[in-house]
Amino acid sequence: MAPWWGCVCRKTCPCRRLQGRSWSEPCALSLGFLITRGILIGRYQLPPPTPGAISMELPWGPSLPWGPSLMLIVAWPPGSKPHSSTWFSPAVNSFTKAKVLTASSTLKFIPEELVLYCRDFRVLRFRFCNSGAPFAAVFQVTLAIVQAQESSSASAGTWYDTGSSSPSTLLFERPCDWEKELRRLGAAGWRVSPVNERFDMATSLPKYLWVPSRLLDNELKRAFGHFNARRIPRLCWHHPGGSDLLRAAGFHADSDPEKEDVRSVEALMLAGHAQCVIVETTADLPSPAEIQLSYLKLRALCLPDSSVADEKWLSALEGTRWLEHVRACVRKACEVAALLAERSCSIMLQESDDRDLNCLLASLIQVLSDPHTRTQSGFQSLLQKEWVVAGHPFLQRLNLLRDNDREESPVFLLFLDCVWQLLQQFSASFEFTETYLIALHDSSYIPFFSTFLFNCQWERDRRNRVSPAWSGPYLPTIWDWALRYTAQQRAQFRNPAYARGSGSTTVPNGKSAPLGAALSGSGTMYLFAKGALSPQTHLFPWKNGSLSKKGWWRAQSSESLSEQDRSLRSSPSGCPLQPEGLLLPASVGPLIRLWRRCYLRGSQEVQVTLAPGTLADRAQSQSPRPALSLVKTLPAPMLDVLARVWMVGS
Amino acid sequence: IHKKEPIEKEVNLHLLPGELLLCEANTVLKCVQEDGSNRGACGKLICTNFKIAFLGDESASDDNEPEFKNKIIGENDITLHCIDHIYGVYDEKKKSLSGQLKKYPEKLIIYCKDLRVFHFCLRYTKEEEVKRIVSGIVHHSQTPKLLKRLFLFSYAAAAPANTDIQNQTVMFDAIKDWREELERTKGNMKYKVLSTNEAYKVSEKLPLYFVVPMSLSEESILQHQGRGIPIWCWSCHNGASLLKMSAFPKEQEDNTSQMHKIFLDGVYKTINKPPYEVLKTDDLSSSLPSLQDIQAAYIRFKQLFLIDNSTDFWDTDVKWFSLLESTNWLEIVRRCLKKAIEVAEYLEGQNTNVLLVEENASDLCCVISSLVQVMMDSHYRTKFGFQSLIQKEWVMGGHCFLDRCNHLRQNDKEEAPVFLLFLDCVWQLVQQYPPAFEFTETYLTVLSDSLYIPIFSTFFFNSQHQKDTNMSGEGHSAQSSRFRFLTVWDWSVQFESKAQVLLNNPLYVEKPKLDKSQRKTTRFKHQRQLSLPLTQTKSSPKRGFFREETDHFIKNILGKRISKLINSSDELHNNFTEFYDTWHCKPVDFHGLLLPHIDGPGIKVWAQRYLRWIPEAQLLGGGTVATATKILDMIEEVQSLQKKMDEKHSLTVPQGREALPMLRNSARLSSLFPFALLQRHSLKPVLPTSTWKDLEDEDDLAKRDDEFVDLSEVI
Repeated sequence: MAPWWGCVCRKTCPCRRLQGRSWSEPCALSLGFLITRGILIGRYQLPPPTPGAISMELPWGPSLPWGPSLMLIVAWPPGSKPHSSTWFSPAVNSFTKAKVLTASSTLKFIPEELVLYCRDFRVLRFRFCNSGAPFAAVFQVTLAIVQAQESSSASAGTWYDTGSSSPSTLLFERPCDWEKELRRLGAAGWRVSPVNERFDMATSLPKYLWVPSRLLDNELKRAFGHFNARRIPRLCWHHPGGSDLLRAAGFHADSDPEKEDVRSVEALMLAGHAQCVIVETTADLPSPAEIQLSYLKLRALCLPDSSVADEKWLSALEGTRWLEHVRACVRKACEVAALLAERSCSIMLQESDDRDLNCLLASLIQVLSDPHTRTQSGFQSLLQKEWVVAGHPFLQRLNLLRDNDREESPVFLLFLDCVWQLLQQFSASFEFTETYLIALHDSSYIPFFSTFLFNCQWERDRRNRVSPAWSGPYLPTIWDWALRYTAQQRAQFRNPAYARGSGSTTVPNGKSAPLGAALSGSGTMYLFAKGALSPQTHLFPWKNGSLSKKGWWRAQSSESLSEQDRSLRSSPSGCPLQPEGLLLPASVGPLIRLWRRCYLRGSQEVQVTLAPGTLADRAQSQSPRPALSLVKTLPAPMLDVLARVWMVGS
Repeated sequence: IHKKEPIEKEVNLHLLPGELLLCEANTVLKCVQEDGSNRGACGKLICTNFKIAFLGDESASDDNEPEFKNKIIGENDITLHCIDHIYGVYDEKKKSLSGQLKKYPEKLIIYCKDLRVFHFCLRYTKEEEVKRIVSGIVHHSQTPKLLKRLFLFSYAAAAPANTDIQNQTVMFDAIKDWREELERTKGNMKYKVLSTNEAYKVSEKLPLYFVVPMSLSEESILQHQGRGIPIWCWSCHNGASLLKMSAFPKEQEDNTSQMHKIFLDGVYKTINKPPYEVLKTDDLSSSLPSLQDIQAAYIRFKQLFLIDNSTDFWDTDVKWFSLLESTNWLEIVRRCLKKAIEVAEYLEGQNTNVLLVEENASDLCCVISSLVQVMMDSHYRTKFGFQSLIQKEWVMGGHCFLDRCNHLRQNDKEEAPVFLLFLDCVWQLVQQYPPAFEFTETYLTVLSDSLYIPIFSTFFFNSQHQKDTNMSGEGHSAQSSRFRFLTVWDWSVQFESKAQVLLNNPLYVEKPKLDKSQRKTTRFKHQRQLSLPLTQTKSSPKRGFFREETDHFIKNILGKRISKLINSSDELHNNFTEFYDTWHCKPVDFHGLLLPHIDGPGIKVWAQRYLRWIPEAQLLGGGTVATATKILDMIEEVQSLQKKMDEKHSLTVPQGREALPMLRNSARLSSLFPFALLQRHSLKPVLPTSTWKDLEDEDDLAKRDDEFVDLSEVI
């Protein structure tokens, strides 16, 4: 495959020292994703060091063509024009000084070393050999990298056609995907509604929605106005025991509960159940701004020169609050998943704009509850459904174009971290590995994929395919792993220790309330926040006047907390559904860990630490230990040979 | 909740040979969790001269028994030495119990050294029995004891002599063991075994046999009761050796200390010239934390895991990382590992002899010297090798187990968890490089528990001399009445063979046997060459992180980079980091030198030991066990395939190793396997169910309230 999107460094790459043994991916970097947020630093030294001493650090050995073409010119897709920049000279006084390079800065020296701080926590160092390389070439390379950093936004979105994306992943762009998934879930009382097919109901919603079968489209239309950005409650997932998981935006400020259409709102929320639990998503979870803040702190901590002493590492880690956020998400998802399994009801996740933490929570709950989402294709379909077409504003949140820092917040990366926590707690329950998650993590910074480059499906449809007649280039989805990863690397996405199909979740539940009972509006509402359930008399409590929005649920929660005398864990017999496919992760301090292989990649010291800690880790890690890595990648006949070696050894 | 008259049945009470029942109390309620509820099991609490035991009225049926079972210590047994603290609850208030009691509590809380916490409710027990049992337990576990009153002696006197012990562990109690060790490490050219101490002529602290440099004269050895003599621990493949020495006490008169100085100078002179390598001395008492620091850190550390009730747990959980850091325990672990790497650098990297100096050479000396050997010599990463190492450095090396574990409760000030510290350090290595070790973390955990089981002599003497002088029985009558003590290395005493399987790492690959000529690698030189160009990088300033928005930040860091550059001129530090970094840049050879990661994220909490009794930390169907099961399945499949293949080729098949049968028949294992015993009683996730109550059907409710939870129903 041509290195169309970045430089590909091989054996002689200077980064070989930074590349952990356990991370076998060649350190290919897309300038766009690495550098859009990262920074380039040229380091130089006066007087020039003796040539012999650094020759080992030569970035390009004889086996690879030397020259800027490898790095950059090839790297960029056609159409991107280099910026013509003005150059001015920085003041140079000390004998060693680093310079932050941007497209507008100039180089008045030959950099001895380029350090690339990448958004994906990698740090790549390129050392130029003064004796071998012509100064001009060094200059060119440096400038080209710097320019590439800046021009990434200009070139984003220009791409040529590729093959088909992986067929097993449901993209949820066509109604048949929605139908197929609904059939898989066995949600009998639900249908696919094309009410938003032209995005005329809500631009940020997907084209198709899952709504209760009994609700006609014209009844449905009345509900839109009652929710922020017209994002009405719709089905995310159907528990085989009967419960339904819904998500919706907050109630619109102008929504009038006295109006007749509230009946259809209520019908949507109850979805045929006698009880509806409204989960206040934001109640226990961090806001996007808080996530961004702690992410920045985490990144600063994890970079090699964080200047945090080893003995202060733990409190510094705590100070980033990142793991606290992870823990809050895992805990909340676990609580809701337990609620879903406990009895038949409808549970609605409500966030004021339904586009950030609702995505996270809805998908995390499904990962916990539905074994199918723990397969690779299931997980990808889940991301399509709950993030991509559901309108998570990836462009704003990942800030790939660097046009607005204020909206940046790695909600999606927080989600990946949560999934990683589950993965390390229940490694045998996932078909994919940590490597897959890291690949996904890194892919979110590649600006050539439709998946992460738009804020909602409407935008994606408009920009990505100008017209139906357009047959020119369009952006592929991120799920085309073959575009970026070799078959060998993709083999590492698969977890050999995955215990496929350990029990099914389809346990019939007699408690399912008869459909339609609630359509008449006789359902009970509960509110779930801060780990406590409280009954609610009105749909819009703050409209009622008698209750203040803040304190009204607290009165009961204290009473209920002291009486939690059972749970799914404590008395499995009392639970209507034996949670065979349900994962109940622990969210206690000692068990929520730092995702070292992802965040500590930049630190050379730690990078090689990726030695697995336990048997479990061993199965997933890609360490080059002959015995272990063979277990995971080799087909069965080869294992045979391996076993022979083992037996001889023992 | 108490119901039924207690049925008199003694079936459950198994007494060991020499064990005597001292007192008992009936209708004791063993509470499951301190959450205000009265859930738990009713039964009998007994106290013997060996343990405290709780016998449930409803005995567990056989198929519910945990399969990883200790034959000596049951699930509800606490040896008297394992008791850490006893608290009584009086009117909801917790008070530490010791000495004479005026008032008897309604509830006993027992904190164990293996971090279990027991709650025994005495509310339904007869007052007399309460008095007897509480004062009995407090007396037998808390008051100072005489050595001869240890259960070890009663057991050894009463137990049938076990003659056929097949012990592959080298005990180092014979001169032959030392000679073979010298030969194995090729130290026999420059070092010799001495039998001078056979009647403890030299010192009671030293073992009967020890190894010293050949050039050391016999008279100098006899001079100072073993102080000031460099004693050989181990030799590196390049000839450099690890030595230890007990220092002379500091406060002395002028001329005595002058004398000592002259003596030491003489000693150094003889061993600081060829054929001996250059000598580097390291005074551990100044370069490592003191025993008091270690003890204080451990006390703080273990508090994090001795959980009374789940409310406490969630309270501490919020600030978990900073609490953990403030205990300083992990920092001490880090410093020990770092010191061991430094020593390894001198030995391997600089071809220097290292002499560890400490007051008695029996505490931190043991930690560092055995750590260095585990890191540098793959023989010590096998099970028998590791056990031999503990024999050599700790048991024979004169570590005062009795005092450090405070087994006799005679002096709290001497207590310090030095051996635990060592095990924790080894655990860090095991979890960083599992394939390098023949044993598992479960082995280490079980070994740490064995510290408190007084039927093995291994951890119940201060020195070999003390053991020898206490070997003879009461009657002074020659050989026949000598005690036969068990050694902890005979794991069959504690575990059935199927449970012992869990102590072995199934994925360990033994070191391929090479020619002796090949074994002597030129690794050292090779390494130096490789590291040369890297030196350049090392001396260059470290990288910084910059965000363009924060110019101030950038300046700040730029300043730091330069100062770091200046600081790095420290040569010693440079050598260390170069050695450490160079090693970490290369692929790991699991049979070669092993250096642990000691950076902030590298040092972790030994979760299995410390979290195993905490239900909140349990993952049903998750954790490493689930994966291990899967992997073992795979191995088994491969084995059977191989067998089939071999049968086809009519070859003789070596016997396949035993897989873990017990992993298979439990449908849903928990992450705390093999230790999870309390798993049914966790309250996670926190779910308020009371609000549902109105909708609950009545039958169901009644059934649940009646649910009588028996601990033994688990797994």
